[in-house]
Amino acid sequence: MAETIEDLVSPHEPPDRIPIFTAGEIEGLNTTPQSFGHLAWSRFRRHKLAIIGAVGLIFIVVMFIIGPSFSPYGFDERNIADRLQGPSFDHWFGTDEIGRDLFVRTAQGGRYSLLIGFLVAVLATFVGTILGAIAGFFGGWIDGIISQMINLVLIVPALIALSVFSKNFGRDAVGLSLVLAVLLWTRIARVVRGLVLSIKEQEFIMAARAAGASNTRIIGRHVLPNVVGAVAVEVTLLLGTAIVLESTLSFLGLGVQPPNASLGTLVADAKGSIESDPVRVLIPGFCIVWIVLCVNFLGDGLRDALDPRSKTERG
Amino acid sequence: MTNNSEPLISVKDLSVAFRTPDGLVRAVIDATFDIHPGEVLAVVGESGSGKSVTALALMRLHPKNAEITGSVMFNGHDLLTASEDEMRAIRGRDIAMIFQDPMTAMNPVFSVGSQIVEVIRLHRNVNKKQAWERAVDLLQMVGVPDPKARASQYPHEYSGGMRQRAMIAMAIANDPRLLIADEPTTALDVTVQAQVMEVLHDVQQATGSAMMLITHDLGVVAGSADRVQVMYASRVMESGSVDEIFYETSNPYTSALLDSIPDIEGSRELLQPIPGNPPSLLNPPSGCAFRPRCAHATQECGDSVPQMVDVSPAHMSRCHRVDELYRLAEVSS
Repeated sequence: MAETIEDLVSPHEPPDRIPIFTAGEIEGLNTTPQSFGHLAWSRFRRHKLAIIGAVGLIFIVVMFIIGPSFSPYGFDERNIADRLQGPSFDHWFGTDEIGRDLFVRTAQGGRYSLLIGFLVAVLATFVGTILGAIAGFFGGWIDGIISQMINLVLIVPALIALSVFSKNFGRDAVGLSLVLAVLLWTRIARVVRGLVLSIKEQEFIMAARAAGASNTRIIGRHVLPNVVGAVAVEVTLLLGTAIVLESTLSFLGLGVQPPNASLGTLVADAKGSIESDPVRVLIPGFCIVWIVLCVNFLGDGLRDALDPRSKTERG
Repeated sequence: MTNNSEPLISVKDLSVAFRTPDGLVRAVIDATFDIHPGEVLAVVGESGSGKSVTALALMRLHPKNAEITGSVMFNGHDLLTASEDEMRAIRGRDIAMIFQDPMTAMNPVFSVGSQIVEVIRLHRNVNKKQAWERAVDLLQMVGVPDPKARASQYPHEYSGGMRQRAMIAMAIANDPRLLIADEPTTALDVTVQAQVMEVLHDVQQATGSAMMLITHDLGVVAGSADRVQVMYASRVMESGSVDEIFYETSNPYTSALLDSIPDIEGSRELLQPIPGNPPSLLNPPSGCAFRPRCAHATQECGDSVPQMVDVSPAHMSRCHRVDELYRLAEVSS
């Protein structure tokens, strides 16, 4: 039993083995070099919420895609005799007023909503990132024009603009996506512009210039890769916003038109019976919330994974 | 030493001014100097004396709001009137630059090796694999241990000294004829500074490139330069060989600068700082800019800006009283 500190320390007895580290071991040099993708994946894997988001998203997408093939009903198949049924073994989510199977319709509507969300996210990110980077990098009158464009779009009341535009070409997924993208690119553009303003003042941009790199190369190779993390988060938020906005429009009858359905139109169709049959509203509503949440979790994880400066514990 | 050869770069009457809301700031005034092949020119001066702006102007990397006059002859071209495409071809190939802070001078999202590869492939028609092999060789050359593994690491996995070595590797990737090192050791630990200077010196010897070494560390100058150019308040005050600057000092500012260095072997006297502060470039003093702080200033010093005069061949000083203060002393000693 050790009574005093001296007993514990016992300076006269050398330890059995003095651990000797080479400089390499101390600095972690002897670990095999890992590719960026590998490192990003290992960081992503450690991010619990991101994994939940990814799994949740994959689950619901797979459900939407292959789910209907397990059901004998078509998405526009009416069966008046079975109308307004609650969830059952036959109709998993029940049926609507004209006897259409709600499980099939939800899957169909969910696919449509996701398609629009992805289209909007891709379009708006593409336009927003390029315009934002150009504005931030070149500054001056170019920045002036782009910034005024951003402000112009921002002050337009979204719903009014959407209702005007979607009347004319919001009939199909592509048209509706275009209209939404025109309204939503500004957020990414502003984020990217702000980041680029600070990145372009950093010394590695000057170093790239001193090495003989052109403006295009500097933007493409030195500026944009440094905004990927932030943009990844914005993209996922955008995807969520787009789905919610599309649902809002469809709910108001301005977005997706029958016979097509989206999660928004499904909620709208069921809103009359929210008191008698809340499940019909809740199911598509829950799908919207599920998708948006998963996508946001995913974005959070992506931001951490795509930043090579974030710490990676190595096993 | 190499003065009889054709100069590699010949700077004449280079002036850089910035238009600011408060008025015109003249950051460099009438700088005239040559750098010969293989020569190390040290540019010394306090912060804000125009050293870095001079270097950036040589590569035409000065900020957009700068107004620049004079000429920079390199390879038969005036770099100040060359097209942007010509400049891009010269930057990184003929003239390369090493920056002050290795922490921020590398792109954080790419591995060190791929950044060197980029510099190589900007100027040479080689495939990625060849460029990568060269990058590893370069890292080896600047003393990065285990260069194969280190090449695929990211800048944040490097220590400061290692990063500066990697910056040097990047700068010499295309065997430049002129290497501009802008305070390459300022951001580093004192212990690491010496190592990095040694690497820089070795690399310069090995590649035979000329070097413009910007620093405010006179110890670094004494150890590695062939010629020295002392700058104060946008003007070159004195230029000459290292020995001339250190042992035949011919300018009051240079001697004040030398007096302010702590002497490791000398007596434990107090340091002798230069009294006062560097002048505002917005509103410089009349006449000689060093006059308000100079122990030898007279009425004449306030009347006109002194010209550069020859003290001896290739040794020049900007002082009205250079004859009475320095030449007589030389004769009498």
